[in-house]
Amino acid sequence: MKQLVSAPMLFVGAGIFLIVGLLLAFLYAPIDASTMGYSQKIFFYHAPIAETALVAFGVAFVAAILYLRSQDPKWDRLGVVCVRLGLLFSALVMATGMIWGKAAWGTWWDWEPRLTTFLLVCFLYVAYFVLRSVVEEEERRATFAAVFAIIAFIDVPITFFATRFLPAGMHPTVITTSGTGMPGSMFVSFFISMIGMTLLLVALIRRDLGVEELKDRVADLKNSIGG
Amino acid sequence: MSDPADRRDGATSLEIEVAGLRKTFGRREVLKGLSFSLERGGFLSIFGPNGAGKTTTLRVLATLLTAGAGTVRVAGHDVRDDPMPVRRTIGLISHNPMLYLDLTAHENLRFYADMYGVDDREARITELLERLELSHRRHDVVRTYSKGMRQRLAIARAILHRPRVLLLDEPHSGLDPRAVDILDGLLAEIRDEHTFVMVTHNIAKGLDWGTDLMIIEAGRIVYEHAAGVDHASFSAVYREHVHDGSVL
Amino acid sequence: MNGRRQFMAILRKDLIRELRTREMIISMILFVLLAMVIFHYAFSVKEDADLTYFTGGMLWVTFIFAMLLGLNRSFAQEKDERCLDGLLLCPVDRVTIFLAKTAGNLIFLLIIQVVAVPVFTLFFVSRSYVGDLPQFLVVLLLADLGICALGTLLATISMSTRSRDLLLPIIFLPLIVPVLIAATGATTLIFAEGAGFGDLLARVLFLLGFDAIFMVAAYGTYDFAIGE
Repeated sequence: MKQLVSAPMLFVGAGIFLIVGLLLAFLYAPIDASTMGYSQKIFFYHAPIAETALVAFGVAFVAAILYLRSQDPKWDRLGVVCVRLGLLFSALVMATGMIWGKAAWGTWWDWEPRLTTFLLVCFLYVAYFVLRSVVEEEERRATFAAVFAIIAFIDVPITFFATRFLPAGMHPTVITTSGTGMPGSMFVSFFISMIGMTLLLVALIRRDLGVEELKDRVADLKNSIGG
Repeated sequence: MSDPADRRDGATSLEIEVAGLRKTFGRREVLKGLSFSLERGGFLSIFGPNGAGKTTTLRVLATLLTAGAGTVRVAGHDVRDDPMPVRRTIGLISHNPMLYLDLTAHENLRFYADMYGVDDREARITELLERLELSHRRHDVVRTYSKGMRQRLAIARAILHRPRVLLLDEPHSGLDPRAVDILDGLLAEIRDEHTFVMVTHNIAKGLDWGTDLMIIEAGRIVYEHAAGVDHASFSAVYREHVHDGSVL
Repeated sequence: MNGRRQFMAILRKDLIRELRTREMIISMILFVLLAMVIFHYAFSVKEDADLTYFTGGMLWVTFIFAMLLGLNRSFAQEKDERCLDGLLLCPVDRVTIFLAKTAGNLIFLLIIQVVAVPVFTLFFVSRSYVGDLPQFLVVLLLADLGICALGTLLATISMSTRSRDLLLPIIFLPLIVPVLIAATGATTLIFAEGAGFGDLLARVLFLLGFDAIFMVAAYGTYDFAIGE
């Protein structure tokens, strides 16, 4: 994968897909018939960002398992990079979700299951970095971080399930744009944005991984000259 | 003494075999390829300045740390792939007593006896407490013990399960002269029953006990010798290899 | 070797130690009673307010925070005098240590619940739920198990870090929210309206699933959590 596509090409590809997706969303997909109208267009970015955040945490989960099996620092680097990007995308999910909520229901925040899940996901993965910051020894830090990344990722669907199906009040406010009732034109626009966002994630992971490797090399060099 | 199943090492009389042992903490390589071995019944004294990697070596032998590279075998078992038999074979005495301060001597020993699956638990505990002159305090919580008494109890803890190999990490440090005498008396008593590896700053003690001597400096073995070196010439060797001059 | 004997040895040691010093239990019980007083003034916003609907939430919030106190203590003593090294030197399966520690924490949590539940009920719940007691106990045990299993795993990690007891709430609370949601929902139904197993089915199954999933996850990761 490393040499197949160059890093700048990945960014360009992601950009093309994202722009095309956006154009299609406004020009091709139908305007929402209900009260939301144009404000519903944010969905074409909101949902792909959410999907990408989960992909990032999923990759971190796999990297964590691989780290525990091999103790190879490269998996730890991948884990850090993915969690950081996942956190960034989660913050964007929250932001776009709140903007949408404001437009659709006139309120910035609603304890809606998906948004609530992402709020908790943000807390979870911020805790991942807090955990990393309080362990000095590198192997131990990587090991603990991996264990936590595994537990955290398992907890995400459980949290979603709990916020979606179990609240005491029982008045689930479900956003009904996703799922079965999506017309074809909408789906195409949505799908292209999703590809673009995933490509962006891959491009960012690669770039960040390069940065992390360089950081490690610098630290090694500093260490070898006794700095 | 020991479990008959553990006596099947007829092929070799080497109790400890270390080959190419490396260990890094983060970017710092603490052990840079150690190789040594120790015969059954031997007593290896390891010297070296602070931070040379002595304690790290001992902790790898004790399965508390995993080796970065190389093979380490204790009593014929690989410490990484097969740690359980190694753990049954070894006892560790360090300057940390590893005792629960809010439990009595008897409760501490009972706990460890259960953990090691000692069959004649009560008899063994009674025997050890008598041998270490702690019987009269057996039902007092360890918090009320003096440093020397704690160290004696720590020895009881370490040999409770009749280990074949005893690992000693600076056992004399922080002890008053009386406690040092007791410790030495005990070592003399159990000397024939065990193979020993002792990490120490104390050159006199290390030379007294050692059948094999070793100096580690900056993660490498810089000197190896069989026993029979007198104190003055060993000190000279030590100064020659170790330049920090902090010890001695 | 003999896992059962080792399990009992660890559990026995922790119980003896706690019964002798009582430092954990006493501070946990005092915490629970103080929380009750604080909740009373925090939520009695108008005269003769009925707090029945809030009691489930108060209880579980209290239990989770009390458990944070206890979890930190239960591992602090292993770190003192390097007892953890002594424990790790033993030929013991690390999962046995996890199970014994979880069981010990579960016992401590149950002890404070024996005090807390009647007192909270007496002060806050306006109707009798004696008929629903079996359901309540099932919910209580399942939620407790999830809290203790996850808490033990995370406390094992946090004790080996620089900030120890400061870290635990930050990594523990976001993970335990699902249990809080399910347990609070079930408890509130039982206290306020009365609910049979049928009404609670989704929540009970959810708690059961949570416990099972995290027991398996802890089983797979505990070797790494407790050290090299």
